[in-house]
Amino acid sequence: MTAVLGRLWRPAVSRRPETAAELLGQGDRLRRAGRFGEAAQLVVRGLSLDPASITGHLLAAYLHVARRTVEPAKQEFRWVLERDPSHPRALLGLARIALEEGDLEGGREALVRALRAYPDFPEAQALLDGLATRQPTPPPARPRLDRLRLPASARALLALGGDGAVIAARPEAAAGGGRRIARAARLAAAALKRAGLGALRRAIVEDAEEAHFLRADATLTLAVALPRTTHVTQGLLEINRLWAAAQHELAVARDAVAGATASASARRVS
Amino acid sequence: MSRLRLGLEMDGSSRGRQVHDIVKSVAHLSAVRGALLVSPDGFVIAAEVPPTIALEPLAALAATLGRDLEVGASKLGGGAFQTALFSADDGTLYLAASRIGFVVALAEPQANFQAIRGALEEAVTLIDSGWAPAPAGNAT
Repeated sequence: MTAVLGRLWRPAVSRRPETAAELLGQGDRLRRAGRFGEAAQLVVRGLSLDPASITGHLLAAYLHVARRTVEPAKQEFRWVLERDPSHPRALLGLARIALEEGDLEGGREALVRALRAYPDFPEAQALLDGLATRQPTPPPARPRLDRLRLPASARALLALGGDGAVIAARPEAAAGGGRRIARAARLAAAALKRAGLGALRRAIVEDAEEAHFLRADATLTLAVALPRTTHVTQGLLEINRLWAAAQHELAVARDAVAGATASASARRVS
Repeated sequence: MSRLRLGLEMDGSSRGRQVHDIVKSVAHLSAVRGALLVSPDGFVIAAEVPPTIALEPLAALAATLGRDLEVGASKLGGGAFQTALFSADDGTLYLAASRIGFVVALAEPQANFQAIRGALEEAVTLIDSGWAPAPAGNAT
């Protein structure tokens, strides 16, 4: 793992003898300034002097995460945890990687372990809050949105219930993306809350190919994937139109359920 | 000389100052409450946010959200994640991906969406130009 880091950033020539602690301390300072390449050089040198340094391996893990190289980062975090099973930063690091990989349970477990060892750990608590899910809605109460149509220019459309479960997907194959959208929406909602901005209402996520427009409240999240060239105003109009259609259909379904319940009650009385 | 060119000419220590300047310039936009640059591991590289906001938890969430969007974009084959905004009743959180991390801006509800998006894109361009991978053989 350290060798991988060494290949990515070749060590610079040392001008004077230095201890591993000095090198790692300087590496950490550079990392904190976002100077990851220079930091990695020092961490590699520090670990060559003290291969068993937990700080060194933790820094190596951070630098791999910064470079978005997940596997070596995971190995470095695990190396730390083998020596210190309740190391909070290593647990947090592994939790974040688990979340990236869609392993919610793994992420939650690592965060709970970190908080058990260190109850005053705001980052871990914030992430755990971001993973909180509502109780699943029982299937009979979960409405269907049969009339919701995929707009002509859209690649996919997804509707999620308040518990994050997919209640409509167009095309059907798009349902696989439901979990990711639910997770991103939960994380965004937690970040908005932490920033004191309130509950998530709308989102626009742009990548190189597509623009994803989202609208949400406590009971429904609706997301549509449109071409990246879609003007923001057009995208917002589209998601608002879909939102109104979905809300109308949900209201009709609620009325039908209420009507059926009233009829059943009336039959029981008579 | 353009800011972009200045970014290209930065040496290591100047780049540290540069990111603080970039974050400050975003934070001082009209109707923006604060801004930060957070590395993909959740560490705050630079921040200019009101003292009422607990920085580390917000950074942890922003970095995790940013990585989730990056990984999601690549898995769905949609191309690299670029920018996102998440709006609520009392404001909007903007997020943009750069080479060294995520630029986050917290804005008032009435903030100009295009102006902030443009500023974030410029910030990312500046950061990315300053942190471009070195040619083969150079350690950085």
